[in-house]
Amino acid sequence: MSHTTLTTGRVRHSLAPWARIAGLAVCALLTLGPVIWTVSTSLRTPAESFDLPPQIVPSEPTVEAYRGVFAQIDVWLLALNSTLVTALIAVGQMITAGLAGYAFARLEFRFKKPLFALVLATMMVPLQVTIVPVFLVLKSMGLTDTLLGLIIPAFPTAFGTFLMRQYFLGMPKDLGEAAMLDGAGPWRVFRSVYAPLAAPGLAIVGVLAFNYHWNEFFRPLILETSGQNYTLPLGLVSLQGNLGTGSVSVVLAGVVLSMIPAVAVFVVGQRPLREGITSAGVNR
Amino acid sequence: MTNTQIPPARSQSAPRPPAALVRPSARERGTRLLATVFLAPTIVGIVVFTVVPIVGSVVLSLFHWNVIDSPRFAGAANYGEVFGDSTVLVSFRNTLLFMVLAVALQLLVALVLAITVNGRMPLWLRSVFRSAFFFPLVLSAASISVVMKYLFNQDFGLVNWLLGLVGIAPVPWLTSENGAMAAVILVYVWQQFGFSFLLFVGGLNNIPKEVHEAAALDGATGLRKHLHVTLPLLSPTLLVASVVGIINALQVFEQPYVLTNGGPGDSTRTVVMVIYETAFEQLRFGTASAVGVLLFVLIMAVTALQFRLSRRFVHYQ
Amino acid sequence: MTDSHTRRSLLRYGAYGAAAAALAGTAASWDRLTAADIPGRDDGSLVVATLGPAYGPAAVRTLTEGFAEQYPDIKLRINAVQAVDWSDFFAKILTQIAAGTAPDLVYVATEGVQLFAQRLGLPLDRWVRRDADELREYFADVHPSLVESMMYEGSLYQLPVEFNAADMYLNRQVLRRAGADRPPADWTRDDFTALLRRMKKSSDSHFTPYFWTNRLWGGVVPWLFANGTNLLAESKAPGGDWLWDTFYPADQRQGRGGGFRWTTPQATGARFEETYEYLASLIEEGLCTRPEGGNGQNLVGVFSTGRVGVTPAGGFWAGGLHQAGMPADRYDVQYFPRWRTQRHQFGGAGYALLRTSKRQEEAWEFIKYAARKDTLTRLFTTNQTTPARRSMLTADRYRETGPDHWRVFYDTLDRFPDTGPIPAPPQVAEVEQVLLKHTGTALSSPRAVRPALRRLQGDLEKAMERDA
Repeated sequence: MSHTTLTTGRVRHSLAPWARIAGLAVCALLTLGPVIWTVSTSLRTPAESFDLPPQIVPSEPTVEAYRGVFAQIDVWLLALNSTLVTALIAVGQMITAGLAGYAFARLEFRFKKPLFALVLATMMVPLQVTIVPVFLVLKSMGLTDTLLGLIIPAFPTAFGTFLMRQYFLGMPKDLGEAAMLDGAGPWRVFRSVYAPLAAPGLAIVGVLAFNYHWNEFFRPLILETSGQNYTLPLGLVSLQGNLGTGSVSVVLAGVVLSMIPAVAVFVVGQRPLREGITSAGVNR
Repeated sequence: MTNTQIPPARSQSAPRPPAALVRPSARERGTRLLATVFLAPTIVGIVVFTVVPIVGSVVLSLFHWNVIDSPRFAGAANYGEVFGDSTVLVSFRNTLLFMVLAVALQLLVALVLAITVNGRMPLWLRSVFRSAFFFPLVLSAASISVVMKYLFNQDFGLVNWLLGLVGIAPVPWLTSENGAMAAVILVYVWQQFGFSFLLFVGGLNNIPKEVHEAAALDGATGLRKHLHVTLPLLSPTLLVASVVGIINALQVFEQPYVLTNGGPGDSTRTVVMVIYETAFEQLRFGTASAVGVLLFVLIMAVTALQFRLSRRFVHYQ
Repeated sequence: MTDSHTRRSLLRYGAYGAAAAALAGTAASWDRLTAADIPGRDDGSLVVATLGPAYGPAAVRTLTEGFAEQYPDIKLRINAVQAVDWSDFFAKILTQIAAGTAPDLVYVATEGVQLFAQRLGLPLDRWVRRDADELREYFADVHPSLVESMMYEGSLYQLPVEFNAADMYLNRQVLRRAGADRPPADWTRDDFTALLRRMKKSSDSHFTPYFWTNRLWGGVVPWLFANGTNLLAESKAPGGDWLWDTFYPADQRQGRGGGFRWTTPQATGARFEETYEYLASLIEEGLCTRPEGGNGQNLVGVFSTGRVGVTPAGGFWAGGLHQAGMPADRYDVQYFPRWRTQRHQFGGAGYALLRTSKRQEEAWEFIKYAARKDTLTRLFTTNQTTPARRSMLTADRYRETGPDHWRVFYDTLDRFPDTGPIPAPPQVAEVEQVLLKHTGTALSSPRAVRPALRRLQGDLEKAMERDA
């Protein structure tokens, strides 16, 4: 076997290429299998749901289950709420993480290390540990059972701040130094030199935030009590029906519907997302 | 991690006196002001919505409180109750067991796949594989667990049917203690390995080509090369992947909550599930807070231990 | 490079665009974000919390419009709370109370009757007495067992509007395959076992005769009832005569009291053990799924396709099976089999009035409205539950969904007057949790029963000692 590879840094393997690719294909199939089954089952009648072997391509596909979803829950209101919450959190996190990440990467100030450690430490705090006091804090602000009550506490993001710090650290230092020699102040250096380069990094933060909060279940479950304030994942719960009599197909159709925006964002944002996660693991 | 030095000191030709002896320059004051403004949203948010609630949790753990009546001071009674409650103790054991197995499996699967994907193949194919492995990460853990519950059903599920095709008798997933833990771990790893996978792909791309060539010249091939060359060079990435993996695994909730509801018995009940049940189902917020405080301490301890160990095993280039 | 450059500027404009859109969106949707646009949020409306999965948007509309016709002066807001089960639902209501946004009325199932009555509820006694003449028709139509299950320490807390007793559903296709007929009403536990064996013999390996879900209702507890025992020692509170004497004839008053008291756990009793050993033996013989085997949706799917022959369920399942596409003539229903007794288990639901309500008179009007026959007829159109009013169970109602022997649903109450509610003391959340937990362990093998039940007993004792 030849040692030369197409790209740099690729690892040479002793395994035959076809075996490698076949192995990967099996793994990919296992990874996507449950999703394929979900989509396919949502297009069959409930009575066919548990057919073995499963019909992956339904012989008589029906969108009855999707009609059921729209009849049983107010999909549009739920989607509006989810969109508002997710979009505002994403934008908010891009702002807070962009600013804080820059400060930690490129500005000098007192208590920098302990403050950064504090930010990272919040990753270690399980939501369930703080949810009751958070609820009381929101109550004192009059924000319980509002969408804002879901949005505002989600603005600070430890992982986003960490990512943006990495991102700014990865930019050439000489750019800022050159600007400073030209007499630019700290704000000007940020505004005209680094911020314009940060857009891809911010996109990563935005996509990550969207991804996480679109699927969020626990906080809305506790914090939102009026039906009008539910987000999509909460609304889907009622598809399970009284005493679990709801149809499997309808439940899965709801799952598929709620997947669509996340998948769309995945398709559009997967490259920055991948790059973001990839770079997070590279030590600098 | 290396800290970036202050640029002005280097850009000026004459060495400056120590900072303490002179008043901060306008630039330094500007920098501090900017830092304050930039950090304010994050730090204020963290203080109000994380630090204060943590303190609140600690305080709450010293009280009996059921939401309806006003809190009664309990001293350390909640902690005493927690340590005497076998369910809580078992949940800590389960969580640690889950963490070790899930993180190990997740890292192993991600590492093997990352190395394999980085091998020679058409670019489009590599991109397809990377997307596929990453895909489960964008789905909701709660929804996908509902789906998995159908697939893992012992009598009617697809998983046992597939195993039957290769001659394996139906596995009591979800209905036996070991099977349930295995199912929860598999479903969790299935959704999470994409994250470590991408970290490793990035780490592998960062290993200089020459290193491999040198290793090849020395006669190192295949597994041996990966063990002695790739792994040490990847160790910083491994550290990040395991730290994030462990922190997430210690907080696992949705998968066992939906798949097994903690059963059979207590075999898949995790600490976070106990917190949820004690607080929101039994309305014993004080006890729940005590469990939460203990979990928080555990997570900090495990993370600190990791960083300590990492000094011996992590090689920086 | 230009490629990455254009991508970068694209992303930048994208970010600007997103920020601008977010700003505009925030401004435009401020009312949505602050929930200021919810009608009746702070305007003195009567607020009723119902369980979301049981009350879809159509049901909420029906209830609201019907009420507005009757009481144009009372503003009403129905809040359908989404929750996976009752304990989840109760947790959310308590969260609302903690947030200072308590509803006036809460839809409460048997599971929560005493929890709410003890801490939060207001007895309806004085209104029931006051409006006795108006209510005579209601009580005449509702079985006293249902009413008694809504009493706590001598007072009535809810008017039941629906219930479900644990009867046995049978798949006719599977019966035919096994060469068996629908069992008679007085069938015994041994008849039941024999039927399962016949079903098993006549089917392939993908078939399990008996399927059940592990929960307080319809799981192991009906078997405890049939074997003449209960999870907790059961007695009746004194009182309640004011109600029985006013509304029920002498023969129906017999043995009624002021509501149930569930006290000492009896999980280590001989009959309790015997019940678990029986179920464990069914599992071991492959006649019955393990309790963690699945949830309701699983069950509808496998029952309607003939992979399960028998399962316990109430009237609500007729609607569920119909919705899943099972024709009315493909299944039927019979009473739960007799063991030492043939006492059945049921759970009901109605509206509870909270003490904190400032609109108690209006709330009482809603309770009466919600229990009217025309209201319930409009609400229960798909047989998603069994109406508490006997007169609503008609051949017409079950023509489309089946089953043929729909009379079983209500006759369960008449035929077995000792039929009783789910054991649900105020500590219900913990009681249910430990029951589910240890039932799973106990049924892993016949040998596991005894030690698991000892632990169940210990945990139940701890739970009952605690102040709910």
